Amino acid sequence: MINFAFRSGLTPRFSSPACGPQQTDMITTKAALRASPGKPPRVTLEVDEGALVPQGAPIARLRASPDVCFVAPMPARVARITLLQGRRLSEIVLFHEPGPDDLRHDISQADTEGGLRRLMQNSGLWIWLERRPFGGPPPPDERPGAIFVMASDTAPLAPDPRLALAGQEEPFGRGLHALTRLTDGPVFVCQQPGPALFDGASRDGAAHAGRLRAVDHGPRHPQGAPGLRIHALFPATLETPVWTIHAEDVAHLGTLLATGTLPMTRLVSIGGAALREARLVRTQPGADLRGLTHRIVQPGPHVVLSGSPLDGHPAHWLAPRHRQVTALPRPAKGKPPHWLVAALTRSAAPKPVIPNAALDQSFAAGLPAAAFVRVLASGNDETAMKMGLLSLLEDDVALADYVLGGDAHLPDLLRAMLDRIRTEFAA
Amino acid sequence: MIRGIWTRETIVLLLVAAYLPLAVLWLWFGGGEAVQRLGLAALVLFLWNLAFLLARAQPISLSFVITALAVAMLAPEGLGAFQLVLGISFGAVFGELVFGGWGRNVVNPATVALSFLGFGFPGYDWPDFLAPAAWAAIAAALIGGVTGTLPVGVIASATLAAAGAVAAGLLPAAALPAAGVVLVLLVADPVTSATTLLGRWLNGALYAGLVTLFAVGWHGATPVQYAVAAALLTSLVAPALDELALAVWYAKRRRQHGGT
Repeated sequence: MINFAFRSGLTPRFSSPACGPQQTDMITTKAALRASPGKPPRVTLEVDEGALVPQGAPIARLRASPDVCFVAPMPARVARITLLQGRRLSEIVLFHEPGPDDLRHDISQADTEGGLRRLMQNSGLWIWLERRPFGGPPPPDERPGAIFVMASDTAPLAPDPRLALAGQEEPFGRGLHALTRLTDGPVFVCQQPGPALFDGASRDGAAHAGRLRAVDHGPRHPQGAPGLRIHALFPATLETPVWTIHAEDVAHLGTLLATGTLPMTRLVSIGGAALREARLVRTQPGADLRGLTHRIVQPGPHVVLSGSPLDGHPAHWLAPRHRQVTALPRPAKGKPPHWLVAALTRSAAPKPVIPNAALDQSFAAGLPAAAFVRVLASGNDETAMKMGLLSLLEDDVALADYVLGGDAHLPDLLRAMLDRIRTEFAA
Repeated sequence: MIRGIWTRETIVLLLVAAYLPLAVLWLWFGGGEAVQRLGLAALVLFLWNLAFLLARAQPISLSFVITALAVAMLAPEGLGAFQLVLGISFGAVFGELVFGGWGRNVVNPATVALSFLGFGFPGYDWPDFLAPAAWAAIAAALIGGVTGTLPVGVIASATLAAAGAVAAGLLPAAALPAAGVVLVLLVADPVTSATTLLGRWLNGALYAGLVTLFAVGWHGATPVQYAVAAALLTSLVAPALDELALAVWYAKRRRQHGGT
């Protein structure tokens, strides 16, 4: 068992009504399929508007990798398909409508690596994977250097993945061992201290022994952020990408391997200062956020975010990998400042970052924080790569950006740098 | 949407709060003359900040109050208004404002101004500090350390190294009040001191080492004079200390992960 410095990081507090441990099932009437943030992928549609589809039925495929599907998260009627120029996916809206039985996949070939990949891609699970560097789902034939299973989430108001895994120990173990077939490297299970989440003894004999490793970390954010864990344990590089997957999705993979059906609900926490009560619900990916917050939101203007208060973005639908919904009061638009005050306080360049202890802690002591922020701000790609940029995504620097008052625009700087590096190395 | 508080303006406000005990005590003992010096320094710095605001859209930061306090406290005594204005202008413009304002400067403007005054007008006596100033410096360090605005590593390593030097008989105890005031006002500046963990410890130790060296080998110099000289050299070396710390960190990660 590997241990980290448990005292690093911060505990940002956001007001929210108390949330009990009870979970309720809530399938929203509407849901939508959207791509992850970033450049939308080109897709080939499998259904037309108005079609009735069972849960798990492919709705669209990636044009570049036809095995990778976007599937229906519930039995539904396809209400609206919106594509951008070049047949890029914008959103596909579905109305919940009970219909045929859930789609069952052929699992006879899942014992082989190729069969497992095809099963994950056809069932819609592939797009729940995230690769680093650069983010997004991995290419269909990529072999990662390591896989990180995130069985903890230190983001404020996040649901505890251990709750999601309660009663799912067997499928989780099955899913974990399946993941070891996708890589020659280790599979890390990142968790907070507690009872063992899986049986360390390999089901498949010595081949996987030692590659499945539990890694404990402390409770403060961002100790449980995937990027910081990857940075500490197995840094992603251009040659050796690293994948991450949520522990609940691994349990769903285990269920898929046993039954041929991919469960489509996930544990989602609904919190925030604009709510009358917080909730833990089991809902589908792409769920309608207004449906989820209906009747529990306080009267008055508010904004609903997909994601945590740190990295969430105003949205209509739950993002593909998100497990949090945050409702915040909409700040009242104040009177614009006097033109002279505005002229005297507005700067030509972004205000500089002053090194301080909160900034140091916002990278959980994993990075030389001030130096890294300066490198990001100055656009020094090579030094940033040396410091571990390729292991990080926007969510990993969200806390530092929050701490600095949003003046530094760190997620935007990081994304611009990653895009620049990707373009440069693709050429 | 929701934002944290650690912006440049919050930090400068906390720094002003940290230095308040030092300022109050110094003004209490200094009387009207101290108030005049502080007022003059603040006025000159404000005007230069205003000029750069109008010319280059650099918003004014309250940090000029801290610079004014440092210059007023540590500048040689008996200097005329013109000499003070000249030194402060040189320090503010070439130490801070041409780099883009507070937060983008590489050396502390007060350190530059004091060094200019020391080299330019060597005939004037440097001030002396009594024990109460040292106690106020400790209070400033504690407030800055607790709020996270002053680098604890710099202050701690300098304190430990100075304690060792005093115990070894190299550094006279009488130099400690001046060295302490210079440490919290100039050396522990969060912008111009080292920013890495190892760099900060080296930064503080280097400052204490230079103070000790000058105390031993610089005959005729007063504690404030050699502490300011040590602060100038330390701030010039601080980026190299960070580079050294980063090189060590890269090497450690290469050993762990085989080249990243």
